[in-house]
Amino acid sequence: MTKILVPYPEKCTGCRFCEIICTLENDGVINSKKARLRIEKRGIRNDIPVVCTQCIACEENCCTNVCPVEAIYMENGVVRIDKDKCTSCGTCVETCPYGVIKIVDNCAVKCELCGGSPQCAKHCIIGALKFEEPVKERYLNVKKMIGVG
Amino acid sequence: MKGFAGKILKIDLSKKNFTMIETPKEWMGLYLGGDGFGTKLLYDNLPAKCDPLGEKNVIVISPCLFSGLPISTAGKTIFHFKSPLTDGYGESVMGGAIGAEIRQAGYDSIVITGKAKEPSYIYINDENIEIRSAKYLWGKNTRECPELIKKELKTTRILIACIGQGGENLVKFATVDCEDRQAGRSGVGTVMGAKNLKAVAVVGDKDIPIAHPQRIKELATEWVEKIKVHPTFAEDTKYGTGEFLEWMSNDRGTLPTRNWKQSQFEGNKTISPYYWAPKYSKKNKACLSCLKPCGQLFEITEGKYKGTAVDGPEYETLFSLGSCCGNSDIEALSKANELCDIYGIDTISAGGVIGFAMELYEKGILTEKDVGMKLNFGNSDAVPKMVEMIALRKGIGNVLAEGVKRASEKIGKGSENFAIHVKGQEPPAYDVRGIKGMGLAFATSPRGACHLRSGAYGLELTGKWWKFSGVDRFSSKNKGVEIKTMEDLMTVYDCLGVCKFSRHLFFLEGFPPIIEAVTGRKYTEDELLKVGERVNNLKKLINLREGFTKADDTLPKRIMSEPIPEGPAKGNYIKPEELEEMLDDYYKARGWDKEGVPSKEKLKELGML
Repeated sequence: MTKILVPYPEKCTGCRFCEIICTLENDGVINSKKARLRIEKRGIRNDIPVVCTQCIACEENCCTNVCPVEAIYMENGVVRIDKDKCTSCGTCVETCPYGVIKIVDNCAVKCELCGGSPQCAKHCIIGALKFEEPVKERYLNVKKMIGVG
Repeated sequence: MKGFAGKILKIDLSKKNFTMIETPKEWMGLYLGGDGFGTKLLYDNLPAKCDPLGEKNVIVISPCLFSGLPISTAGKTIFHFKSPLTDGYGESVMGGAIGAEIRQAGYDSIVITGKAKEPSYIYINDENIEIRSAKYLWGKNTRECPELIKKELKTTRILIACIGQGGENLVKFATVDCEDRQAGRSGVGTVMGAKNLKAVAVVGDKDIPIAHPQRIKELATEWVEKIKVHPTFAEDTKYGTGEFLEWMSNDRGTLPTRNWKQSQFEGNKTISPYYWAPKYSKKNKACLSCLKPCGQLFEITEGKYKGTAVDGPEYETLFSLGSCCGNSDIEALSKANELCDIYGIDTISAGGVIGFAMELYEKGILTEKDVGMKLNFGNSDAVPKMVEMIALRKGIGNVLAEGVKRASEKIGKGSENFAIHVKGQEPPAYDVRGIKGMGLAFATSPRGACHLRSGAYGLELTGKWWKFSGVDRFSSKNKGVEIKTMEDLMTVYDCLGVCKFSRHLFFLEGFPPIIEAVTGRKYTEDELLKVGERVNNLKKLINLREGFTKADDTLPKRIMSEPIPEGPAKGNYIKPEELEEMLDDYYKARGWDKEGVPSKEKLKELGML
């Protein structure tokens, strides 16, 4: 199975380094609002890494199904957005149950795993985000923790 | 001017309006950001000798130069104000991420003046600024308040710094909280409460302006790699700042105990994280962008304190709510820590004032009737109870909420002899009788007793660090240059927003490459220390303007008259003539006159005249 980002909320410290490094890698700027993932804080106990599941655990609300111009496609286990096709209509943003698709510079953007070396997981030396073979339950657990679905 | 937003936001709560001013271009070179900007803005905006709880007081909130960047351990936010504890220069640093959010909203600092007519909070989303009603938030604690604001604004992506009941009730050492990280010291929450300002809520959508993003990314990775393999990483993250508590008590004999009567605590084992972390710590908690998280999510799952959850307790709190009160019960200690955080009062001052009350109780100056309980040292359950009474100003708590200095003035009966404070602020966990250089640093710190303005305790206690070696902690000789240099270095940390728990990672030489990547401007190490020196002179000028004199650069009576009774530091204390000697040496090192006033030549040299 292809490796993707796997969240370990039980280890997450809430430092949000991942958000910062994400935008630096993907947009060349520092702006956590553009990050393709986020750390959701729920009270003192819960720091929850919310990441794209690459179609593993979105169930019926999958961005690949709703794009009206078919700009979103799956390639080798990674869900990608075709920038030339995207009209930035925002349907995918509305649909994503994890809220990790954004419109940046008039184009929908999402985690495409930094070309195979996701910077968030690389820098998360605490082990709250790992680049490994996914376990569906981990995403469903995140969904439950953030109160979706 | 890369690295800076170029704008400072000024909000007047009385007039309910705001203005934006341009950040003067020369500030980057002169003040760097963070502590530098905040101190300068306080100096420029604070009317001399105003009432710290009146509408003329000012609160400056500043991100630091590295806030929001992927530079590990550099996520600080800093507050400047006139302190209601010291009636002088006030400053408080937090790990909370609101500074980075202010930066993303497009501001280098926020200056808050005036006083709201009714409970209010400030909402900032880039150029959209509103002063909103906080009537429904008044009386809510620091965990409830942000949740309610998020609900009102229908978002979870917002950073909120708020006060709890402590700030509302004008407890003199109230804190400001942001995501369970506090601006703890000097009563910044009190000033917010006095302004009827419950919270500041910020959402920023802008990019943080930096000169060389690609270079920042390289440096980010470089430092993460260094931190990961650093010898301190494992212990720092596993046990947090309390890791050296046992060493402080047993080996150095400088853990203040029972209101500073002693400096070794026989109960240190059970309040040491080596004991409690494996049992109670569920995971690490971190400040913004920190990959060496010292925070511990401490949870109690059974017994009378079941349900307690706190980010901590940190070293200073293990002293204040622990050894200072003779309390070796880590559960009662953590409950008291949680209550301090939730109500929004400083753990150091709270523990200081409780320890003070315990000594008065044991000496018969306060009675069971006065305090409503048996308040002996070691009565662990009394500690969380007293925290609540202080925060809510109930019973004796109403007096203790004033801090030890003012409380002793009210209580009288010789209680001032047991009021341990410098300039009105209760000191942190270093018995300076056995760390004499730190004694000087306590005396000279512009915000009153403070371990972080100089951060010199490590070097004093081990004898060497960075540029220094052969330092004798029991000697009062040659401390001037040492403390001056350490103060200037630590001020650089506060301008950049780097955690002082990381000073053995970055020292000073780690900074110029990062600063250059952020600003595009080269700095030498000497230039950086000059910035630190300039900012420290400015802090001094603020205090001089407030009427402070050399007489305020002093230490508690106990520190200067009672020798440490036992242990490795036995027999030591700071004689008045030793303090005098150290002050002379320090003022000379600073280029100040014999009364501690900066000379015209010095100010000219620093470009301040």
